[in-house]
Amino acid sequence: MRAWRDGFSLAGYLPSRYVPGGAFWMLHHSSPILVGLVLKALFDRVSLGPSGADGALALVFVLVAVEVVRALVFYGALLLWPLWWHSMFALIRTNLLGSILKDRVPPSVRLPGSGAEAVGRFREDVADLVWFVDVWVDVCGGLLFTVVALVVMVRIDARITLVVLLPMIAVVVGTRLLSRRIRRYHEAFRAAGSSVSSLVGELFSNVLAVKVAGRESVAMGRLRSENSTRRANAVQAELTANLIPVCSEVAVELSIGLVLLLAAPSMRRGSFTVGDLALFTTYAAGLTGLPRWTGRMLARHREATVALGRMSRLLPEGSGSDGVVASQPVYLRSSPPPLPAPVRVPDDGLSSLSVRGLTSLHPASGRGVVDVDLDVVGGRFTVVTGAIGSGKTTVVRALLGLVPSSAGTVSWNGVVVEDAASFLVPPRVAYAGQVPRLFSASLDENIRLGWPADDDAMALALSLAALDADVGEFPDGLGTMVGPRGVRLSGGQLQRATAARALIRRPSLLVVDDLSSALDVETEGRLWDSLGRASGTTCLVVSHRRAALDRADHVVVLDRGRVAAAGDLAHLLRTSPEMRRLWREELVVEGEEAIGA
Amino acid sequence: MTAPRLLTSYLRPHRPAVTALVVALLLATALPLMGPQLLRRFVDQAAAGRPLNLLVGTAALYLAVALGGQLVNVVATYFASRLAWTTTNQLREDLVEHILGLDLAFHGEHTPGELIERVDGDVTSLADFLARFLFQVLGSLLLLVGTVVLVLREDLRIGGALIAFLAVAGTMVVRFQQMTVPAATAEREATAQVMGNLEERLAGAEEIRALGAADHVLRRFQEVNATAYRANFAWEVQAGGLLVITNVMFALGTALMLVLGIVFLRNGAFTIGTVLLLFQYTTMVRRPLEQVIQQFKELQKAAAGAARVVQLFAIRPTIVEVADAVALPSAGALDVALERVTFAYPSDPDDAVLHEVSLSLDAGRSLGLVGRTGSGKSTIARLLLRLYESTEGGVRVGGVDLRSVQSASLRSRVQMVTQDVQLFAADLRDNLTLFAGGVDDGRMVSVLGDLGLGEWFASLPEGLDTVLGPGGSGVSAGEAQLLAFARVFLADPGLVILDEASSRLDPATEVLIDQAVDRMLAGRTAVVIAHRLSSLERVDDIAVLDHGRVVEHGPRSVLAADPDSRFGRLLRVARSGVAS
Repeated sequence: MRAWRDGFSLAGYLPSRYVPGGAFWMLHHSSPILVGLVLKALFDRVSLGPSGADGALALVFVLVAVEVVRALVFYGALLLWPLWWHSMFALIRTNLLGSILKDRVPPSVRLPGSGAEAVGRFREDVADLVWFVDVWVDVCGGLLFTVVALVVMVRIDARITLVVLLPMIAVVVGTRLLSRRIRRYHEAFRAAGSSVSSLVGELFSNVLAVKVAGRESVAMGRLRSENSTRRANAVQAELTANLIPVCSEVAVELSIGLVLLLAAPSMRRGSFTVGDLALFTTYAAGLTGLPRWTGRMLARHREATVALGRMSRLLPEGSGSDGVVASQPVYLRSSPPPLPAPVRVPDDGLSSLSVRGLTSLHPASGRGVVDVDLDVVGGRFTVVTGAIGSGKTTVVRALLGLVPSSAGTVSWNGVVVEDAASFLVPPRVAYAGQVPRLFSASLDENIRLGWPADDDAMALALSLAALDADVGEFPDGLGTMVGPRGVRLSGGQLQRATAARALIRRPSLLVVDDLSSALDVETEGRLWDSLGRASGTTCLVVSHRRAALDRADHVVVLDRGRVAAAGDLAHLLRTSPEMRRLWREELVVEGEEAIGA
Repeated sequence: MTAPRLLTSYLRPHRPAVTALVVALLLATALPLMGPQLLRRFVDQAAAGRPLNLLVGTAALYLAVALGGQLVNVVATYFASRLAWTTTNQLREDLVEHILGLDLAFHGEHTPGELIERVDGDVTSLADFLARFLFQVLGSLLLLVGTVVLVLREDLRIGGALIAFLAVAGTMVVRFQQMTVPAATAEREATAQVMGNLEERLAGAEEIRALGAADHVLRRFQEVNATAYRANFAWEVQAGGLLVITNVMFALGTALMLVLGIVFLRNGAFTIGTVLLLFQYTTMVRRPLEQVIQQFKELQKAAAGAARVVQLFAIRPTIVEVADAVALPSAGALDVALERVTFAYPSDPDDAVLHEVSLSLDAGRSLGLVGRTGSGKSTIARLLLRLYESTEGGVRVGGVDLRSVQSASLRSRVQMVTQDVQLFAADLRDNLTLFAGGVDDGRMVSVLGDLGLGEWFASLPEGLDTVLGPGGSGVSAGEAQLLAFARVFLADPGLVILDEASSRLDPATEVLIDQAVDRMLAGRTAVVIAHRLSSLERVDDIAVLDHGRVVEHGPRSVLAADPDSRFGRLLRVARSGVAS
């Protein structure tokens, strides 16, 4: 029922298009009625022999006129529909994206594991729901055609009309039976296909392991067997999918054949004319529409229900599907209104941030951080350090509300923060993550992301992030397109750009997760110096570098998800074995860098 | 080889299937063409007042022919799809085998994604095309020709008019499709941008939230949607308009045939049944005509894909086994010698990565390579595995110049533990043996136990059958390293190359790794790219590399004792910090 209710709300979103557009589609679907009537008149004249020829010729022109009108109706339908259609996609996608970007539960909890799967929700699931509402129009058109056609046919010959209907019922049953099977086969085919793709992908990305072990032929054996499974599935899926149109055509042919068989006596007598035959054959083709569309609607209802369920899971738990179809403007034909500029208030400045008892565990692996206390004092430089897998990244992500935490509090200037993900944002806090992500847009857009900043502020952010020299070398400077479809930046450049993105926001607290792949030791040192001295920015930094640790006012050492020690570096090197171990390893790496110079 | 030759060479081995398909197609064409003929006979028989059983016979025949046509249609689709998949599977397999055989340098220049696109995208579009081409294009062409012939048989002038109409209609449809190409391309691009925008924003959802940029991103998304709508509407106006004109054109074609038929009827040359027959044949030609045009457009796409595939086949590996290749000694440690080795990537021949590097290592000794990132350590490792071949100078392992070594013996006697352990989405057994099979389960378990993975192994729900996730999820970095060691122990090589993980491991794993390194070095020759102090203290010799040159080489103990050596300096720096 939910799919019907949400479907109605979608249909009603833009009635100015759904209603007239739908009316045009209905006219289009039912227009073969007229064609049949003209053909009947035409062939009735023709069957009079030479004497009917003049009348028949005139009717040929009527036929052309009818086709011209049909073509125009079709054009009207084609042009009225896209605004509704695109509004639906834009609306649902904006609803989902908006919820992911703004609602309280972190995206990592709601988004499915793989990026491709997440995009699938926005592509296939949205389409499943919109198609369901779209097909209503076809069903109505088919219904209109069927009713009128049946009235016309019954008035010609009720008995034959009844018999013509039989194959149509067979179409309904056949299509229903087939559609489930087609879906199953298609899923098997898709699964086989993705297992071939992932095997091929693995072979190519692990080519070093394959080659070093000399396992090329073994790998090929596996590919051959998966390939032949896919072939079997593909042939089966294609065969059954092809049966749906065949089913319709068989029904039409059966109808015509049955008309011929039954009409033979009355045609000899002349009570069933050649014109009637032409009309019946024309309508027989049209009559398959309603059962096909109804079948499709039922199938799409099932798909829409599943899709709604999946889309609802992108929303915060318990909010149901209302948020999926909620009405809001979509601006397909006008510009969206400008955004209000961010306002700074005194409390956005930081005097203290304190974390108490923070616990955040990954539900699948059970790894994470437990009972972490951490204090950041305004204007000071705090470093979180620890071995790989010790939970450094999780600590900052949990305190920013980017991953869910099961216990603990975060207080800003002594006040407990309720919704960290919405509160610990610019101008209070800016975050530069460990995995740098830029979007396909200009570098300028990527760094600003809507933040109002003048050229000086931009220049300062670029120079602090040590990105200014790189920008100078780009073909179009800040206007250079970056991201997957633009200039490929090096890993270091990417991370420096994300740092600039955080810096341009002039946050009270800058949270940076590991810049070691972005900056060499010297540049990193310069960054911390200028940030601390020049702007008085408070920094919370995840790092294992001496450049950061040497400058730290306060260091927190994590070991396997718990705070192992905290204090200033000198104190920690004296008292914490874990700190000493980390320090030693860093020295080997930096020593190796040093001997080459 | 050209693209069409590529296809025919893959079809040739399946001649019987091709023949069966052609027969099925001929039948699938002939039967629908009989329909209007039977209908004419029926109408004319009725008009002439012939006996009822004759009429019923014609009607029954009509029914049989029509249903038979559909049946043959299904059979032909089946044959076509089977044949297409069989041949392109073969092509796909040959292509993957070819790519796997190419040099590592090739793989360095092409991302896995790009290669997958060749194998999956291009070959699949070829498969789709082949299935449809074999079936629809040939079938449609046959149907068109058949219709024209049958109309010509009625009257040459009318047949001529039909041919003229088909020529005009065909040309116009082709023109129309060309006219809409720019709008269609723009439409596809705009749609792709909506999805691309979404994909990137979803992947960056956390950053967007943390930067407070949600409203800005949503606003941009609205703009992208609006662009997609405008592009789609512009295309709809054009393509829809042309579709409408096409509809009217075919209506005019039908009208033309009807008018001609009626004129002939008035002259008494045609019966009413023949007029009906002309009408039916004219309505029958539209679908095949459009299909042929559509598929020829697809042909261009498939040809582009095929051309890329052909290009890929044309790339030859440079590292191949020579005819009189020699096997490495089948047991014991292997000595290593690099003699004035210079190496440059083929793509960048002027910028050598190694300059006249000479190193030798007696069987059973271990050598630590030290130097900053990019100094050439990994290149030496790859030369020893013959993943690259030296540009000048020679590499000898076990006394055999690697240019004349048997690949199989090299792969079994020389092994590497890489920095990034590559795990497959397969069970533990396959991950340990890399799909080789034939290794005793007990041995695997005991090797895991020796490496200190016994407890971890015991925690696995299905033992050796436990599937390790893609990318090795569920396996920590340290465990993955130890699994890589286990692989090497099972293979028992005479030379190991150990490219240590630079990632930080917890102390417990660290101890296990140290023990594993000890066992690995015992009785084997080893080249270690060490990132940890404890490993540097285990090797016999040290070579310091700088910008592709060996700047220091000697026994570790000697270098460590020399305060002026680079290695000595490194050790000092590394140890000093702890005291400070």
